[in-house]
Amino acid sequence: MIIYNKVSKIYKNDTKPVLQNVNLEIKEGEFVTFVGYSGAGKSTLLKMIYAEEMPTSGEVYFHKKKINDLKKRYLPKHRQQIGTVFQDYKLLTQKNVWQNVAFAMEVAGKTQAEIEEDVPQIIDIVGLKSKIDKYPEELSGGEQQRVALARALVNRPKVLVADEPTGNLDPISTWEIMQLLLKINEFGTTIMLATHDKGVVDRISKRVISMDKGKVIRDDLKGKYCI
Amino acid sequence: MWLQFKRTFKSAVNNVKHNIWLALSVTSVIAIALFIINIQLANIVANDLLLADLENRVNVSVYFKEDVSKDKVQEAEKVIKEFPEVERVTLISREETLEKFNKTHSKNKTLQEVVDVLGENPFGDILNIKAHNTDDYAKITEKIKSANFNNSIDNVNYEEHQDVIQGLGREIKNSQKFTIVLGIILSGIAILVTFNTITITIYTYRRAIEIMKLVGASNLYVTMPFVWEGFLYGSIGAIIAIITSYFYLHFLANGGSSDTLLFLSSSKFIQQFLGEYFTKHLFLAIGFQLLLGTFLGVLSSLIAIRRYLKK
Repeated sequence: MIIYNKVSKIYKNDTKPVLQNVNLEIKEGEFVTFVGYSGAGKSTLLKMIYAEEMPTSGEVYFHKKKINDLKKRYLPKHRQQIGTVFQDYKLLTQKNVWQNVAFAMEVAGKTQAEIEEDVPQIIDIVGLKSKIDKYPEELSGGEQQRVALARALVNRPKVLVADEPTGNLDPISTWEIMQLLLKINEFGTTIMLATHDKGVVDRISKRVISMDKGKVIRDDLKGKYCI
Repeated sequence: MWLQFKRTFKSAVNNVKHNIWLALSVTSVIAIALFIINIQLANIVANDLLLADLENRVNVSVYFKEDVSKDKVQEAEKVIKEFPEVERVTLISREETLEKFNKTHSKNKTLQEVVDVLGENPFGDILNIKAHNTDDYAKITEKIKSANFNNSIDNVNYEEHQDVIQGLGREIKNSQKFTIVLGIILSGIAILVTFNTITITIYTYRRAIEIMKLVGASNLYVTMPFVWEGFLYGSIGAIIAIITSYFYLHFLANGGSSDTLLFLSSSKFIQQFLGEYFTKHLFLAIGFQLLLGTFLGVLSSLIAIRRYLKK
């Protein structure tokens, strides 16, 4: 489903590569965890899926489509197929829970009827039914991340990219988010998770890709946190 | 497309409600900018009216000697009417002049006695000449002086007024130039301030723009709410500007202080401006204002948002 072929990346005004000749294949329905020190290249690798970064050399494929060649006008459509969750939640502060989730459907051109059917359902799944009218600033970190997760899932994406989604959360909220990610994966969504949390990685026992200095150093199908 | 329009408009209204103070400040800046532009425009038109009025007052009077016959005067009148520079010629007979003189000076016994002593009408016929163009008076005077009826003429009075009239015209024309330059500078500043205010507003939204794009919003979808916001600020600002401009001009027209920096023309011509232009073309004025306001708001938004859409 996702293929990285000899991918290298050097940022502008930088001499050291953040990614060096990375070769990876991720199959549909997989739950893949990326671990490594800060600066190992995990985030850059994930950003290439939703075309926020492009490789300096090599190719990235999503459903056999080469992302490198993606024209700017197709970028919104491409991103609508991918759910993204970040450490800092990236919620729209001007919009309440309902509006934040609905926004993802609005930009995808869904009708009002579809929105009114799907949004409450997904908010219910992430357990925020009682906070539907609240604004991000009125929510805890864990709750905000659940809103972000609901927004990422509402368009039923094929893949969910989660970059340190539990980085700012307490252990209980962390585990709640992980439970949700596992559940989503069970329904067939491919999950790509970058994390520093050893406890999380060890407990879920899924495929672990360890990275260091821009290279993949380990790739275990049922791995533990090991760098 | 219609759905996008509706959704982005709703989003803009939501933003305005959420950031009401910011919205108020942008709207006020646009209103002030348009107000300044309005007053400068009104001033330019009022000065034009003043110039036209002055030009209308200028004429040349040809005074004939008192013993010149009516026929000769009428002949001269015919000749002058043929001059291409002349718009119209009015004959004021010596009898009318005497009557007018008597009326004006009916209380002045000394003057009355002088006329009585003379025993006859001391005035000659007068031809009042109005030219198409103020600059032509010198030429007309020259032509009259070289005409064959020149020896019947007692006096041509243009030379006496010439300096005053030309001087005043020059003064007004200079003041008009100053008004236009001042208007351009003030309007330029007002537009820049508006643009800057909107740029700052959009800067506060830069994170939201980044998020919208990550969620998969197209550039158009990200831009539209800001365009709508610009439209709302511009149109509300325009309505405020046209109301305040009207009342300010009305205040000046009714003898309010006209020595302000923003208004150099006298109240009479502002009144004329309000009556002849503003009220008559009210819808045009409102339309122009709305167009300018929304253009200012929308264009500023479009320019300001461009840099955040590159990714």
